[in-house]
Order: sequence, then structure tokens, then C-alpha cells
Amino acid sequence: MDTSKPLIVDSHLDLGFSALQINRDLTLPAASVRVQDPVETQQSYGSCTVTLPDLRRGRVGIVCATVMSRLDPDDRSTRTGMYSQTQCHGVGRGHLAYYQALEQQGHVRILHECSELDQMAALWQRAEVGADGSGPPVGVVLSMESADPILGPDQVPQWHALGLRMVSLSHYGTSTYSHGTATEGGLLPPAADLLKALAEAGILVDVTHLTDQAHWELLDIYDGPICASHHNCRALTPGQRQLTDDMISSIAERDGVIGTAFDSWMLDPGWQRNLSAGEQQSGATLQTIVEHVDHIAQLTGTSRHCGIGTDLDGGFGTEQAPRDLNTIADLQSLPALLLAKGFSDEDVSGILSGNWLRLLGQHWKDSL
Amino acid sequence: MAPEESIVEPVLMIDGHLDLAFNALHHRRDLTQSVQTLREREDLYRDGVGLKSVHPDALRKQPRIGSEGIATVSLPELRRGNVGIILSTIMARVQLPSGFLADGMRTQAAAHAIGQSHLHYYNALERAGELSFIRTCAELESCATAWQSAAQTKRTLGLVLSMESADPILGPDDVQNWYDAGLRSVSLTHFGANTWGHGTGTQGGLYQCAYPLLDALRDAGIALDVSHAADLTFWQLLDYWDGPLHASHCMCRSLVPGQRHLSDEMIRAVVERDGVIGMVLAEPMLNPAVNFDDLSTAPAVSTRPMAAIADHIDHICQLAGNNEHVAIGSDLDGGFGREWAPVDCDNIADLQKLPALLARRGFDDQDIDAIAHGNLLTFLRRVLS
Repeated sequence: MDTSKPLIVDSHLDLGFSALQINRDLTLPAASVRVQDPVETQQSYGSCTVTLPDLRRGRVGIVCATVMSRLDPDDRSTRTGMYSQTQCHGVGRGHLAYYQALEQQGHVRILHECSELDQMAALWQRAEVGADGSGPPVGVVLSMESADPILGPDQVPQWHALGLRMVSLSHYGTSTYSHGTATEGGLLPPAADLLKALAEAGILVDVTHLTDQAHWELLDIYDGPICASHHNCRALTPGQRQLTDDMISSIAERDGVIGTAFDSWMLDPGWQRNLSAGEQQSGATLQTIVEHVDHIAQLTGTSRHCGIGTDLDGGFGTEQAPRDLNTIADLQSLPALLLAKGFSDEDVSGILSGNWLRLLGQHWKDSL
Repeated sequence: MAPEESIVEPVLMIDGHLDLAFNALHHRRDLTQSVQTLREREDLYRDGVGLKSVHPDALRKQPRIGSEGIATVSLPELRRGNVGIILSTIMARVQLPSGFLADGMRTQAAAHAIGQSHLHYYNALERAGELSFIRTCAELESCATAWQSAAQTKRTLGLVLSMESADPILGPDDVQNWYDAGLRSVSLTHFGANTWGHGTGTQGGLYQCAYPLLDALRDAGIALDVSHAADLTFWQLLDYWDGPLHASHCMCRSLVPGQRHLSDEMIRAVVERDGVIGMVLAEPMLNPAVNFDDLSTAPAVSTRPMAAIADHIDHICQLAGNNEHVAIGSDLDGGFGREWAPVDCDNIADLQKLPALLARRGFDDQDIDAIAHGNLLTFLRRVLS
């Protein structure tokens, strides 16, 4: 038990996907899941890094956990890329139902109110966690990666009532609402009314996985708060998936927060996507994460826009994560690395949890 | 089509067992499209031919080739076949995933969530105007009337929500939620042993926790489906259950071997309870040379025609002494595809061939109406009232 370790907020985890489509029991330690995973699963998704006991051991007490399904006919392996929105809606409600079932069993608590967010943060500041990863429930902020499960603007209040507090319009490919990663194009016509409904409901807009064109179009037609739940810096890792310096500044201008992601593809410029993770070694370490955080801080002149949004087990495992990370519990190596980089105690606390708590809380208050 | 056949009014068909949501979410089939479209989409991927893309984050760069079979069911084909009312499932099991059954979930929380994903897929289809839930007797009557009227009134596919394996129900306290969502029929077990008891392919009965669940199902007004019960489970269910009961998709063990099918004693017991037995359109359930307990005895491609169900219908009618206990529960695309559907059944619209096939086997119009829809309507009225 070590209550001296700081609370960490992870702004992007696909827990529902990991449990339902990868088919993992997230109430077990990652080490147990690795033993249970069939060879087929291991080959497709790598070694498990995120389960509830490991989150607790890393004092990752609050996470944004996704509803994740998109229009993506070419995705034949994950059962989340679909041909129609009706299918996406079904898959998405399944992810939510998984979180609700975990909540009923006491493993997590879905956070609806700002006061609940504050209470959960306070609880985790002094929480005792056993060596086996037993401890308080993990706080879940319900988020959505690609808005396809939302069948129309009229359905936004219903999703808000269910707990949805953060939405990205797109993911890979072209969603109902926008062009996304690996495509060229901007927002699509249904986006405008959806954004209006999201703003009215008090749901934070996540710009991750937008194309460059869609990013700027979104900022033009939407003036509410934004964030980037799991996004790195293009200046350090080339590629459309990362944010340009201008984009980072545009998010900072709205007082948004950017969660640094842990996928080697987004960290290691030498990562080869046509090779499997088993055929190469990641050039990224947790220090690489610190470099991306530092880049955002240097660019914006403050650490208040920096956060952590790992995306761990969102389709890849340890093999494709920073080399010195075994499970998500190893996020606790970050404080020392950040301090060594020259961040103050206050900075570090903000990067690990404070900045996300501020943005989420502020926004939820605004919505009242 | 011969001219004299073209003027025959289509008969309303009720299919007592389909796994639409499973096909939509597990096999990624957009069921609003034609079966032809579904096949074209999947042909791109079959046998490693065609596109090679995988999820960009996936470690495995060679996609797995699906074992979903060739599609036979979609909403346009249901309408074309005048299949106006269906029982379609919520389907998820707690079961170690294996090569034979890859869709088993590791925990009940996950099975519940998969079940909810199925439910909300149906909800989304209803929102899109593709189907309507049938929750009450009045809704059943108006749906049946619309499909049987000669006038071109607006006909919407009617869905009675059912569940195959009760693992998605978290406990007796969860039953009312599912009822409110529309659930009207539940089989406790499916393949293997699950949370509640022993199912197809296993030896054993119910677990103790099944009894409070049965009480809750009975109190809520949900029918019990005895399909996929192990023998001991079957008799324990019949001993305890006093509500409406059916076998949504089951054949006769005296005609085809295997525990999956109903023995004559079981058929008599279902008949005694005024239950209905749905005929399945699957080669391993129609071919007497196939033992369901050892599916390696099944041929790769169907050998039996749709008319093979006539022997089973006749057998049940003989045991019952009337025609009131047989219906259709095709289970098409229920874990198999075109290759195991009867040789003359290309897709589910071909259910409309059944009336003529049965007439040729000596069944009269009244028999045919009873089998095609009448018996299930009577049963559903009892469940919904």
C-alpha cells in the first residue's frame, strides 16, 4: 500500500472493446488475462496491459472509457467497424452496458455529476490499494470514439442521461459525421446539428482522429470547449494522426487538454505499420511520452494543456507500447521522469490528473 | 412460376427462431440490405480473396477468414417471403471461447453487455422504421391483421424479442428490466453449461440459482423455451414451470439422432402443456444420417430439401393427435449459412415455398395455416395476454 503515489487520470481507454470484442475479463490482473488469452487473441491484440486491478495498482483512479464503434466496412478483425449506424448503435450500447454491469458489481462508478468527479478524485487521493490491485471502484467518465452510435441530434440528451460526457466525431475511416484518420476530407453535413446538440447537452468535443481539414472546420463552426483525448505531436512523430503545432495552439486557445497517447505508431517515427509488433522493437520509452508533453508545454508556455490519454489495449498490447511499460500500473514511473525534465510538483500533478479534472469539471459545471 | 401459382395469395409466415442481432453484430451484416448484397460483401473476403485490410492497430496483418457461412437472412428477404412476424434473439453465453464456439464470453457482465448490444440493435432498427416490437396482444393482432389483409396496407415486420441462453439476465432482479425492454421468451441454456444449468452437448440439470430466475420469469409473464435443454434440464424445467412453454426450434429424436432433438416423451410433454414446436431448416437437424452429438457426421453441403420437415410435422401431429403444436423456427443463419440450409432454400424468402410443399405432402389448407402462423399466434396470444 502506498498512498504517496499520485492519482492519474487516463483520458482514453477502450475498456468495453477489450472486454467484449477482445473478450477479456477485466476484473482479473493483466498477468492472468495474458494466461487466459488464446494464441489467436495474443497474435491479434498482443499482451494485455489494462485491467481494473492494474489500473488501481497504478492509481489510475479516473478514466475516460469509450463506447467505440464506427462505420468502417473494411475492418474485418475487431467487430467494431460496421456497415450501418444501427449496427454501431448496438455495439456502442453494449460497451455502455458492460460499464453498467461493472458498476452494479462495484468495480467501477460511472460519473454523472461534477460533485461525483470531485468525490472520486478525493477518494483516490487517499485510497489504499492492495498489492493484488484491490481497492476502491475506478471512476469512469463515459466517452465515445466516433459518434456513429448516436443516431441523430435528438438522441444526444438520452446519451447524456446515460452518462456520456466526451465525444469524438470520427475514428479510422469516414464516419457519419466526419472524415477521420487515414482519409482526406472535412466534416460531413450531419456534423453541424450534432455539434450543436453536444454543446447544448454539455458534452465535451474530442478532436482526436479528425482529419486536418475537419479539425479546422470544426473549430470554425463550433465555439464550445474541446480536447484531444489521445493525441501526440506531429513535430516529433510525423503523420496525419498527430497534431501540428498550430492545432496544439488552437486547442490551448480554447483552454483544452491534450492526452498523450502510448501507441508506438504515434511515438516512434521509425515504427513500421506494415510489420507486426512482434517483428520490431519500439523505439519509444516513457521518456518519449515526456518529450511530447514537454513539446506541448514549451509551445503553449504552460503545462495546463497537458494530460495522459494512453489508449493502451485499444487494439495493441505491451509489444506496441513504450518499451519500459509492462502494464498500465507503470504509469507511476511518469512522475519522476516529468520532475527530471524540469516540471514542478504542481506541473506534474496537473499533467497527471489536475488538468483533466479541471476541464471536465469546468465543463460539467458550465452545462448546469 | 406457373400462371396458376402466381395468383395464390402469400401465406403469413411466423418464424419462431432467428438470430438477427447476432448476425448483425458478430458477423457485421447490415440486415437492411438484401441477402445478395450481404453475399457480395462477404465474397470479397472469402477464402482469402480480395481486400487485405485489417484494423490499423492490429498486430495480426493477415485477417482471419470468417466462418459465418453464406448469408440467407435479411429484412428485405423476410418481407419478400411474407415472414411478417418473427421471434428473434438476444444471444450471448458465458462459456470459454473455443474453436467450435468462438462467441462464448468470459463473464456474465460481458454476456449481459453483448445481450444489451443485441437489444439496442433491434431498438435502432425500430427507430429506422425497419421493424416494430410486439409487446402486447393488441400489437400482435394488428401486425398479424396487416400481413394477412389483401389490401396493400402498411406492413411492418413484427418482432417478438426472445433470448437464447439466459446469461444476459444478471439475476431475478434483472428480469423486469428485460421484460420492459420487450423480452417475451427465454431459453435458459444453449450449447454447453452456462450460469443456469446444462444445455446441448452436456449431461446434467439446472443449477439451484435457476429456480428463483424461473419464478421471476413466470411472474413477469415471459414464456419458457425448452430448446437446447439437456435431458435432465428439460425434465426439471417441466417439473417446476407452470407458465407458457414452447420449443422454438427443435426436431424429433425418433427421426434424427442426437440429444439436441426432442424424444417422443418430451414432445408429448410439450403438447400436454399446450406448447408449440418450431421446425428447423438445418441439414444436421433434418438428415437422419447425422448424429447431432457428433457433428463430424454432417456433410459439408446440404442433402435434404425443405420438405424433409414434413416427416417431423407428421410425427408430432400423430403424437399430439392434432395439428395444433407445430410451427416454424427456421434458425436460418443461426451459426450456419446457405451450405446447411435445405437444398431448395436459397434464402429466408423461400419459407413461402412451404405451403405448396406441405400441400403436396397431403396437408390441407387449415393444417398449413396452423403450421405457418396459426399455432404460434395462438401461443403468443397466451403469452402476451
